[in-house]
Amino acid sequence: MALSIEELKAAILKKAETAPKPQLYIKDFYTCDPEAKPRVVKNAANDLVKEGKMMFWSSGSTTMYAMKNRIKDEEGAGGVN
Amino acid sequence: MAKHETPLLDELESGPWPSFVTDIKRQAEKSPQCWDILGQLELSFKERITHWKHGGIVGVFGYGGGIVGRYSDMPKRFPGVEHFHTVRLAQPASKYYSTKHLRDICDLWEKYGSGMTNMHGSTGDIVMLGCRTEALEPFFYDLTHNLQQDLGGSGSNLRTPANCLGQSRCEWACYDTEECCHHLTMHYQDEIHRPAFPYKFKFKFSGCPNDCVAAIARSDVAVIGTWRDNIRIDQAAVKEYIAGNVPPNGGAHAGRDWGKFDIQKEVIALCPTECMWMEGGELKIDDAECTRCMHCLNVMPRALRPGAEQGASVCVGAKAPILDGAQFATLIVPFMKVSADNEFEELIEFIEKIWDWWMEDGKNRERVGETMQRVGLPTFIKVMGLEPIPQHVKEPRSNPYVFWQEEEVEGGWDRDVEAFRARHAA
Repeated sequence: MALSIEELKAAILKKAETAPKPQLYIKDFYTCDPEAKPRVVKNAANDLVKEGKMMFWSSGSTTMYAMKNRIKDEEGAGGVN
Repeated sequence: MAKHETPLLDELESGPWPSFVTDIKRQAEKSPQCWDILGQLELSFKERITHWKHGGIVGVFGYGGGIVGRYSDMPKRFPGVEHFHTVRLAQPASKYYSTKHLRDICDLWEKYGSGMTNMHGSTGDIVMLGCRTEALEPFFYDLTHNLQQDLGGSGSNLRTPANCLGQSRCEWACYDTEECCHHLTMHYQDEIHRPAFPYKFKFKFSGCPNDCVAAIARSDVAVIGTWRDNIRIDQAAVKEYIAGNVPPNGGAHAGRDWGKFDIQKEVIALCPTECMWMEGGELKIDDAECTRCMHCLNVMPRALRPGAEQGASVCVGAKAPILDGAQFATLIVPFMKVSADNEFEELIEFIEKIWDWWMEDGKNRERVGETMQRVGLPTFIKVMGLEPIPQHVKEPRSNPYVFWQEEEVEGGWDRDVEAFRARHAA
């Protein structure tokens, strides 16, 4: 049986916190509930961004998701000189 | 006065062509941060390496697209480009806007950004180049509240849909591209502004097979106007062209004397499927063989018009050369009615069927055309619930093996082999 939206969001957050890579593609969250449609997972992940619990990281062509405390922030990364 | 020595870039101003270096120098007089673009680029030319960092977490609240983060990796040396984000604005349908609106956008960009623009990006967006992170939200507020202008798409979103001039200007348009583009833009606001897919996804709408927005080469779903009856011929106008009373191509090549118009040489002999001929002084067309190249209609617009039963062909899977080389879209639906009367229901259903499959089966950073190529067209057609048609066949098959599905075999996989062998010895 598919998870409820709240259960799905919790599973997404857990995955985002514990995955070896800090930034994840939307498809990486499909395993949080294999029975859920991709669109449901996408909506749940986007809701978490809206709630301020996760953030988007975009290269311009692709978008990834991450926990705020794990994300690579270019503005904090500094330059080479 | 120039902030950096740029001898290599200065070379780019010496030719006969307009130079982006000259443009940036002119803009730098108003926006001094632009001097640092030139300084950083000069350094990149010398060192043969980019000093841009691409991507980031920047955006505006509620949106997951429309802003592309860009930073210098040498912010102390080039502080003007420490942050230099790109902002994409959704272009209006067919790119119709007033000069006042363009001036207002430019004024706003000079207030909040570098003042540099790219008109337009290849997706069609108005691209604003160079903004600091702290200026993004105030810029977005003024843009939406004062200019009623929205951001476009970026990242794994549906990108800003684009269309040709369509029926607003063009007699060849076979459906209302502007209405269709506008309707789908409004219908898919969530997909445009927030990531939804394994990678980017683009629609483009062309009113006829001339395909003025190059939908067949640049979009994941290309909706290209066509007709399914016969090209409408005005035989009297054909005679006028032959007699030289009407200039071919609407007079587009009138700047030089090309000699007398020769319908045989300039139209009939150039038909790619050889489906035209003259008979008893009349132009004849075997419409079943017409491949919609549009050449004859382009040369003799007063004599030939698209058929009266109009709609669109839908092609899927074009992309630019990112991973696997450039790819044209593949014809999937030869004719579809595209009408605002049913709110483009058939097209929307088709698009969402693709999305449902691609979101599930597409790999990360894989365009839908690449997924189609990976699984093969027969699988894609099956997923879409379509019957194969001759237009789906690219070439005669070279693989001698036939892989049957269980439902295609009499008795399925459980049939009685002994009974079969009694009739067919091994």
